[in-house]
Amino acid sequence: MSVLSAQGMTMRFGGLVAVQDVSLTVQEGEIFAVIGPNGAGKTTLFNAITGIYEPTSGVVQFSGREVRLGWTALTIARIALAFVLIGCTAVVAINVESLWTRVINANYVYLQPFPWGKAAGDFFRALAELPFSAGIATGCIGGCVGAATTLILWWRSRRTPDVIARSGVARTFQNIRLFNELSLVQNVLVGMDYRMKAGFWSALLRLPLFFSERERFHAEAEKLLEFVGLADRADSAAGSLPYGYRRRLEIARALAGKPKLILLDEPAAGMNPSEVVDLMALIRRVRDAGTTVVLIEHHMRLVMGVSDRILVLQYGKQIAEGTPAEIRANSACVEAYLGTESHG
Amino acid sequence: MRGRFGAITIILTCAAVVPIVDLALPESLRISEAVRGVFLYAILALGLNVVSGYAGLLNLGIAAFMAIGAYAFAILTCEIYPFQVGFWPGILLTLPIGALAGFVLGAPTLRLRGDYLAIVTLGFGEIVQDLLKNLDTVTKGTQGINPLPSPSFGGEAWTASDEYKWYYLLLAVLVIVVLFVRNLERSRLGRAWFSIRQDELASRSMGIRVERVKMLAFSTGAAIAALAGGLSASVLSSTGEPSNYDFQVSILALCIVIVGGIGGIAGVLVGALVMVGLNSIVLVKAAAALAALGIGGQGNVLLSPNNWKYLIFGLALVLAVRLKPDGLLPPRIERSMR
Amino acid sequence: MQPHEVFLQQLITGLSNGMIIALIALGYTMVYGIIELINFAHGDVFMLGAFLALTLLGVLGMEAWSPTWRIGGVAIMLVGSALFCGGLNWTLDRVAYRSLRRASKLSLLVSAIGCSFICTNLGLFWGGVPMEVFAGGVAAAAPKDFPQLIPQTNLLGASAIRITPADIAVVVVTVPLMIGLVFLVNRTRMGRAMRAVAQDATAAALMGIPVDRVIGITFFIGGALGGFASVVYALYNNTIGFQMGYRAGMDAFTAAVVGGIGSLPGAVLGGLTIGLVRAMSDQYLETQWTNTIVFGMLVMILIFRPSGLLGTTRREKV
Repeated sequence: MSVLSAQGMTMRFGGLVAVQDVSLTVQEGEIFAVIGPNGAGKTTLFNAITGIYEPTSGVVQFSGREVRLGWTALTIARIALAFVLIGCTAVVAINVESLWTRVINANYVYLQPFPWGKAAGDFFRALAELPFSAGIATGCIGGCVGAATTLILWWRSRRTPDVIARSGVARTFQNIRLFNELSLVQNVLVGMDYRMKAGFWSALLRLPLFFSERERFHAEAEKLLEFVGLADRADSAAGSLPYGYRRRLEIARALAGKPKLILLDEPAAGMNPSEVVDLMALIRRVRDAGTTVVLIEHHMRLVMGVSDRILVLQYGKQIAEGTPAEIRANSACVEAYLGTESHG
Repeated sequence: MRGRFGAITIILTCAAVVPIVDLALPESLRISEAVRGVFLYAILALGLNVVSGYAGLLNLGIAAFMAIGAYAFAILTCEIYPFQVGFWPGILLTLPIGALAGFVLGAPTLRLRGDYLAIVTLGFGEIVQDLLKNLDTVTKGTQGINPLPSPSFGGEAWTASDEYKWYYLLLAVLVIVVLFVRNLERSRLGRAWFSIRQDELASRSMGIRVERVKMLAFSTGAAIAALAGGLSASVLSSTGEPSNYDFQVSILALCIVIVGGIGGIAGVLVGALVMVGLNSIVLVKAAAALAALGIGGQGNVLLSPNNWKYLIFGLALVLAVRLKPDGLLPPRIERSMR
Repeated sequence: MQPHEVFLQQLITGLSNGMIIALIALGYTMVYGIIELINFAHGDVFMLGAFLALTLLGVLGMEAWSPTWRIGGVAIMLVGSALFCGGLNWTLDRVAYRSLRRASKLSLLVSAIGCSFICTNLGLFWGGVPMEVFAGGVAAAAPKDFPQLIPQTNLLGASAIRITPADIAVVVVTVPLMIGLVFLVNRTRMGRAMRAVAQDATAAALMGIPVDRVIGITFFIGGALGGFASVVYALYNNTIGFQMGYRAGMDAFTAAVVGGIGSLPGAVLGGLTIGLVRAMSDQYLETQWTNTIVFGMLVMILIFRPSGLLGTTRREKV
């Protein structure tokens, strides 16, 4: 079964076509590489897949499902609720002074008990007697504005990166984006965040759930750091890590959400040969632990060494796809990429 | 205790003994009344710190939420209105009301870019003053609402002469707010706040629901600011006029957070002491001293210490950012967050 | 007045005020375009420009001049305020912002807010200068009268609609400035350097563009526009005060955001929009609600077009 399927992906920025009609299918348990010269559109493709960009056209499916918040009863209920609430608020707000005079001032005698029942009656009577413009019209306009706002905010949030990440797709970044002020464990814990249950109130009041969860996830985070070989630095700030270790921490952070699929954007950039060897082993271990891997890489030894299949991009178009052996034998690829920019 | 809890404890303990020292001093040197202002601003600034320090959302209209809290408390408790719920329910109700106001402003605007949000909050700060002024049927316009009730513990209500009771009440509220904010800081939520402050896109790609997390920060900050507003109205027994909650107040709160050390509780407490101390102790005493010498007053604009306020706040901000970008007591996030 | 005359009159007032707002908004949008900073102090620089104009007016005794000479007086004030505001804005960049180029956006903005407060306070002190035009400097904080150098007589004679020489002056000053600015940014070497720095300061520096100087010049030009605007504002409204920078700055920044910050035509469009909305709201709703209406409009525009009317979305580099 395919974990990731992206069909007919096109990404246009103004007049520039960064990615043009690229399709790829990644099977479960695979290590899949995307290669191509600089500016071939690899990172753009990743960004379109993970929701940072909305592709100009094309369909992305994870495990056969398009990840996009759909029209559910809840959405419709939210928009309707926004209509009613904001409509009513608008009516009360526009008429607040006349309502206040009629309901509060007319009924309240200084320091005498307040006739709540009569005041409530007056309130509804006053509402019913509002002229059309200040009553129904205002309510409808306010309601429509509220509903439109809710709709547009919902529309924009349907396929944001958090929605995709929460469906089990994690990624790393080409220009490492760690949380430098947080410790290593904390970085990993951010990646676990969406699996946690304890919310605002358990944190505020330190309910038992808070403590049990903290124990559990801390232990798990330390284990993950051990998995990538950073356990001894767990409590130092991420910003203090040497470059080579940062990539590994980013991988640990991405793995923290227990993703089905992980996308690595140039994981070997800036690494020395022995670090690359370690990284290859790490990528294999990630796959063996049950996570499908898609990676962008320039480092040919790594790509040829770990990948099951390779997709080659040039100028935003796919020019070949196949096993490492097939790609090596493909003259177009060698010419476009391997022949000119081989790193060895 | 780990992290800076030591510093917080020391500051709060010192605060607890101020009235005792104060009683031993001559009248003109007593400061406990001014220190109450420090507590109120510390609470306000803790609210701002949740929004701007933790989540990195610049809120230039925090005073508006203070105003909302003050007026909500006043309308709920003042005897010229029928509600009269009493001091404690009134104070507690400022929290959900402030949070609701934060939600109403935040829901449509928290997706905006950082500096756009700053402008929207700045505008909100002005609009709330306008609303309070214009809706005079409800809010009594520029007169403010008074008298407001004081707390009572079984016995008679406090009066202005019970200044030490007030002092300890405010200190107690401050301690509770510090504890709650600290609980939030050292939780999954606090971590999410720090992460979006540092790199919003990366946190989003890790599955953090940025809008929701920002909204929690914004509403929490607004609720704390509203609490500060309710308390200050109760201390003064009046809301004062709407322009008491103007941009200057928001900026003073911002100065406290920036000068003290953005994103840390101990820093905010120190910042409140320094900035409010400057504002309501040094300037006030200087004005009194000048008046005693027979200079100052209306004649020369330079001789009235009050006229130097903007300059002092401005310089504090520029110099703090330039010389001590992390504040006087910078938080060490990687240590405190465990 | 007939209803349509009322409407036309508000249209004229709104456009005149809108032009002034647009001129200030251009200063915001230029600086934002190049270093992504809301130059909070810009409004206060504008305010100090008006104080300088009033000082010049008092020192030179322009009130006693003949009408023809007064035009020259206005020119002196325009040039003086523009140079002063430009220089002041440049100095702010040099002293308070330049060292923060690599710091977070938040620090930069906080520094700008600090500068704004310092300038406000300078305005307060300036109002206390014992000169006749400042009412002897007794009530420093009080608003100051700005003499009507340009008469407010109606050019249309007995017509109910008023178009005054002041309205004309607004157009005569602002329109050439806007055209000149567009020419400068789009057609000159300097403009090209500005656009290059705006897009990518590091790359521009590597191409040999003196980035700090270009940014400094942008600040100077933005400030100078604010200086021109301050004189026009003072002549048009005949009253100035040390707190006017905050209000005007807020309107102008709103205008820049409404139009799409970073876009020069956007700033002009936004300024005119705000001017018109204010005028219409003053006339057809109650004046006291005008600010609320403008704020509501700002929020609505930002919800439905997050980058303003003419703005383009900037993509974060990932």
